[in-house]
This record gives sequence, structure tokens and C-alpha cells, in this order.
Amino acid sequence: MAIPLVPKLLRAHLAELAAEDQRHDGRGRFAGRDVELELDCLPRAEGSARVRMGDTIVFAGVKFQIMTPYPDRPNQGGLMCSAEVRPVAGRNWEPGPPSPESIELGRVVDRGIRESGCINTEDLCLIPGEKAWQVILDLFAVSDDGNLFDAFALAGIAALKSATVPGERFGVGEDRPLGVAKTPVMCSYHKVGGRFVYDADKREELGGDERIHITLGDDDHVHSLQKGLKGIFTAAEFAEIMDEARSRCAELRDLIDEKLEGE
Amino acid sequence: MGGYGDVQCIDENGIRLDGRTKDEVRPVHIETGVVPVADGSARMTWGLNDVIAAVYGPMEAHPRKIQRQDRAVLDVRYNMAPFSTTDRIRPGFNRRSREISKVTAEALESVVLTELYPRSKIRVEIEIICAEAGTRCAGITAASVALAHAGIPMTDMVVSVASGKVHDIVVCDLNKEEDNYGEADLPMGILPNSGEIVFLQMDGDLSPDQFQEAWDYNMEAANVIHAEMVRALKGGDE
Repeated sequence: MAIPLVPKLLRAHLAELAAEDQRHDGRGRFAGRDVELELDCLPRAEGSARVRMGDTIVFAGVKFQIMTPYPDRPNQGGLMCSAEVRPVAGRNWEPGPPSPESIELGRVVDRGIRESGCINTEDLCLIPGEKAWQVILDLFAVSDDGNLFDAFALAGIAALKSATVPGERFGVGEDRPLGVAKTPVMCSYHKVGGRFVYDADKREELGGDERIHITLGDDDHVHSLQKGLKGIFTAAEFAEIMDEARSRCAELRDLIDEKLEGE
Repeated sequence: MGGYGDVQCIDENGIRLDGRTKDEVRPVHIETGVVPVADGSARMTWGLNDVIAAVYGPMEAHPRKIQRQDRAVLDVRYNMAPFSTTDRIRPGFNRRSREISKVTAEALESVVLTELYPRSKIRVEIEIICAEAGTRCAGITAASVALAHAGIPMTDMVVSVASGKVHDIVVCDLNKEEDNYGEADLPMGILPNSGEIVFLQMDGDLSPDQFQEAWDYNMEAANVIHAEMVRALKGGDE
């Protein structure tokens, strides 16, 4: 991503608003933008979701391949997660090989899902040492107005939870649900005008400092953390956003469960 | 065009696998403003095809060596998302997407009034979210709507559609099975107001009469699709 010039005016404006505990779009410090979640929107994918948070729009698609299990884990399949932010998503995203920013996006989302243990990789084994399913989760940004991390994580887990293993097409048994036992959810906080806010939009990202991404599982266990960009934060600041993340992750988890039940 | 296999794409009553007669277009729907951060955008569903096109610019053209002193350049990218097909596509450029990007740019440069924006570039991004056959046509058509939605001056919008031949029968607007198992494919880019052509490809085997029939089908289909493009730009479903 080309780093745009950050006008001092934007930073100063955001700092002034922060001093009065306000945000430029009128939201409270820990208020998120409206979230839309749509399942099964990509007919060629075995599981899919579309998420809209404000003007940020992303798709997630699940595909399956047959792989040879890794020699050190002969009775396990695999999970691969990759994020692509192509130039369609905004004027600062450039064509070419994956940028460090999009690689970070994919890896942080991947860790949250993988480490929660929500997918039992032994279930994906077909013939030990010979054949296993590889689950591929592709995250694709259509419009980037900030906080792609949370949008990708939400779309990603929702797509996995609605995915069907295409056994018949590959001639290895019947179609069955993938079976995703847990629902890890990510919440991201960005320091804008000297204090952390939830779900920063593009302007707040451009005029802000460091960001922190927290992925929590069903039982409030932490599954991934990432601090990004230049900046310093205190233990007290972290404790505050961790507290906020617990209640917000639970809300988003309810949204996913509600949509899956509606299927 | 393989012509192999024994997939019956059209039955004895002339009904195709998706229920259409030989001269019908698949259902088309277009929506504008689907990429809120872009200067113009459109999403087109056409059968199972689902295409998003976004336009950014006119903007400064860099690197400077791509600048033209007398006109804008169109920087067009056609890409298929990894989950858009039955077998996953590995992300990244390939020869097919490069060629389609090139011919799409040339079709659109034929109608955009590029001389109004010297030394600048207009970015056109075409993303295939779900593919059924005829994605290059859907891409060109969606890109035309996105350019109009961005307010870029054009002499006309390009409507692109592909007809072809299956089991020696000429059919309008090929679907996936017809594209895979048929004997010919004729994609065209048409200016509906004048009937002029800005994009033309063909592969397969057509007799002179069959070629004319496929050509005429494309011309008729262009009018149907053009009506939907205009409807979307005039404010959509309201």
C-alpha cells in the first residue's frame, strides 16, 4: 500500500475532537459502525460470507483441495488463510505481489482462527500419510474504509462455519458440514488523538498511531494479539480495551450464530 | 472449443440446460455504487457471473513514462478472485488475465474521451467474484457502467456479449456448459447507439451463415443488456 502523506491538519483535527471525547463521524469511543453479514453469497465457493462495516466491504470464500499430509503430522489435514487487498479496494492499494500490509492482515486473521482450535485437523484426514483435505480461506477486500482486520476476521469465521466439505465432487465420500467447533472473533483498537478507539475508519487510521488487534474465543480465552504501527501504549490502556473487547466479541459472536441459525 | 464429451447442452425441443431458448439472454442485473470509496463502481450479475468494477481517477499518471502528452491512459486490470471458480485460482497475474486486461483497455479507450485529461490516468479495476462463462464480456460491460457512474465523458457505453455454437446450433449468450463443450465462441463489444464494434474475438468453427447468425444474436442481446445498464444508472430499482 502506498503510504499517503498524512496532513498535519487531519491529525490536529482528530486530536481536537479527542480532547472533547468525540469522533469525526459522531460515534462514541467504543461504538462500532453498523455491521451487515450475509452468508452463502458466492455460488462457486464451498462456504462464503460478505461483511459490510460502514463503507468497508469484504468477501470471504472457502475452497477445498486434496493434499498429502505433512510427514510430521500424517493424520492431519491443513488450513490455509490468505488475504488479498487488490487495487479495487482503494486508491492507495497498488497492484503487484502481496504488500506487507496485506500479508500481515492474512497472518493475524489466520492465527486467531488456527489457534482457537475451532477446526479439528484430524477430521480432515482421509488416508493417513496419503490424503487429507486442505481448507483454503481466501479473504478479499472490495472497499477499504478502515478496519479491514475485523471485517476479514468476521467474514472468515462466518464463511468457515457455513462451509460444506465437497466429498462427492472429489469422489471421496459424501458432502458434509465442515464442523467448526468455536467462534473466534477479532476486535481492533486504534490510537487516535492519544486514546484508543474501536473500529477506526480510514481517516482515523491515516491520522492515528498504533493499533492493537485482539482475537477472543467463546470462553473469553485470548487466541491472538498483534500490535501494529509505531507507537507506545501502557498496561492500563491495554486493560481497558481488553475489557471492551470481551463484550464486543460476544455481540459479534451472537450475530454470527443468529445468521447461521437463519440458514 | 473442444467439442468433446457427450454433454447434451440443448434438448430436442430446443431448450438449453438453464431453460432458455437459443435466442435468450441469461438474467442480468446491475447495481451502481457498490464500492463506496471509489469514484465510480458497478456490480453486475449475469447468470451466475458476479462482477465488481471500480473506477479511480482521472489522477496523476505515474510512473511518468506511462504518461501521454495529449490524452489520459486507461489502466485496466481484470482479475478472477481465488474463490470464483470450481477449482481455486492461485492469486497473481497469469497470461489469460493479462490479455483480457489489454483488450478491455483497448475497447474502453475507443469510447472514453481521453484527450480531455492529458498526462493523467484512469484506473479501471474488474474483479470476477463468481464465474460462469463470459466473464470478459461481463467485465467490459460492468466497467462501462462504472466509468459512466464516475462521470467520465464517453461517446457511448460498451456492451459486450458472446454468442456461439453447440451441437451445430447457434445460441445466444453462452453458459458454462456451452462454453466448455460447444464448438464456437464469438465475444463482441458493441456500441448500442451506433451498432459499431470496439471489441471482437472468436475461436472455434462457424460457417458464414452461422457466423452471421451469432453476430445478429450479439446485436440483439446488446440492446437487452443496454436497457439494464441505463436503468441502473438512472437510479436503479426505485
